[in-house]
Amino acid sequence: MSNIENLKTFDPFADAIKGSEEGVQDGFVHIRIQQRNGRKTLTTVQGLSSEYDLKKIVRACKKEFACNGTVVEHPEYGEVLQLQGDQRENICQWLTKTGLAKPAQLKVHGF
Amino acid sequence: MADPAVGTNSEIFDPSKEKKKKKKKVLDLDSVLLGSSSAAVDEEVVAEPVGVIPDTVEFGDGEPGAHDDILESLETFGSKKKKKKVKKIVLDEDVAAVIEEEIGVGGEEALDFDFTKKKKKKGAKGIDDLVAGEELEDETGEVQFNEGESPEKENAEVVNIPAPKTWLTSDRDYTYDELLTRVFEIMHAKNPEMASGTKQKFVMRPPQVVRIGTKKTSFVNFMEICKMLHRHQKHLLDFLLSELGTSGSIDGNNQLIIKGRFQQKQIENVLRRYIKEYVTCHTCRSPNTLLQKDFRLFFLQCEACGSRCSVASIKHGFQAVTGKRAAMRAKAN
Repeated sequence: MSNIENLKTFDPFADAIKGSEEGVQDGFVHIRIQQRNGRKTLTTVQGLSSEYDLKKIVRACKKEFACNGTVVEHPEYGEVLQLQGDQRENICQWLTKTGLAKPAQLKVHGF
Repeated sequence: MADPAVGTNSEIFDPSKEKKKKKKKVLDLDSVLLGSSSAAVDEEVVAEPVGVIPDTVEFGDGEPGAHDDILESLETFGSKKKKKKVKKIVLDEDVAAVIEEEIGVGGEEALDFDFTKKKKKKGAKGIDDLVAGEELEDETGEVQFNEGESPEKENAEVVNIPAPKTWLTSDRDYTYDELLTRVFEIMHAKNPEMASGTKQKFVMRPPQVVRIGTKKTSFVNFMEICKMLHRHQKHLLDFLLSELGTSGSIDGNNQLIIKGRFQQKQIENVLRRYIKEYVTCHTCRSPNTLLQKDFRLFFLQCEACGSRCSVASIKHGFQAVTGKRAAMRAKAN
């Protein structure tokens, strides 16, 4: 029975579920910067798809940019990446290079 | 030794031939770049090949190599020459790579607007503008507009010259290019001022930004700029604060006090983004627009072309904890 192709279970809504999960809102990846005390800054990356393992991403980023970083869970925005320092350009390039996000998806905020 | 050796050599060097071809291109560039100087070097090499710097020798050798390409195709040269050439290839490629990089960078500047580059450019231009004319204009919009325009214009010229309105006489369908040129022709005919420069200057007074103490920044002419843009101060305030990721308020003298250190250039960048999104019409780029709120959504109504489109609502997004956690906890309790 199971070797008949047509009788395999097929979930017609698989794509829809996947689509809704892509980013928390409209698929954009928001990259923001926040000032801390003095010259210090913090870069946050919000809206990366939850399919990815953010912990692994942050590990790679930390190594690549030589900065510290963490993953923060937020009730509304899901998992958010935090990196120390102004890593906006770095993260933009890295995300496009690794193919985690398209350049059109990236939205950079801040000054 | 002669015959089989040459035969194998030619086989072995087949891949290098491709390289040579590549190299030839580069050499052309070289010759273009160096111009007459390379020719001069050539002569020197011929005259005294011993006391010349290796680099110049490379160029000098490369030049006749390029000329000998015809000979190469006939495969009528000795193995010695070939060996020389291999050396050349390696060294020349380094030079070539450097030159190609330079050219590549130059070309990208002209054509490709990577995000980071755009930003850099924007910043630089911002300074220029302020120094030159004390005005703030929507650079990005202009740049993009020009970009969108120029290739099509070129297309139009190319297409237009051979076939001006040939569809009038024949029964065939219009091609896309023809229709595109027609539209642009009509547009340019009706709006000559747009055709001339495709430039709409959006002149604005620069924001006056003053540091208050070490931790706060004051945006002195905030109200003035709000009035200039015909936008509610609350809307602009919301946008500024959410983009900068800080808090702030308007004080008694109608200046905006922002927490954090910001320079005029940075505020300018944010303002530019605001203008692009919420002030200039997305269709015709006219700044003559109204922002209306319908059913919780903001709509941008253009007074010039009558278009109406929704604009993104201002979202604050995720805000990381930057202050003292102990203080926050104390505040919450």
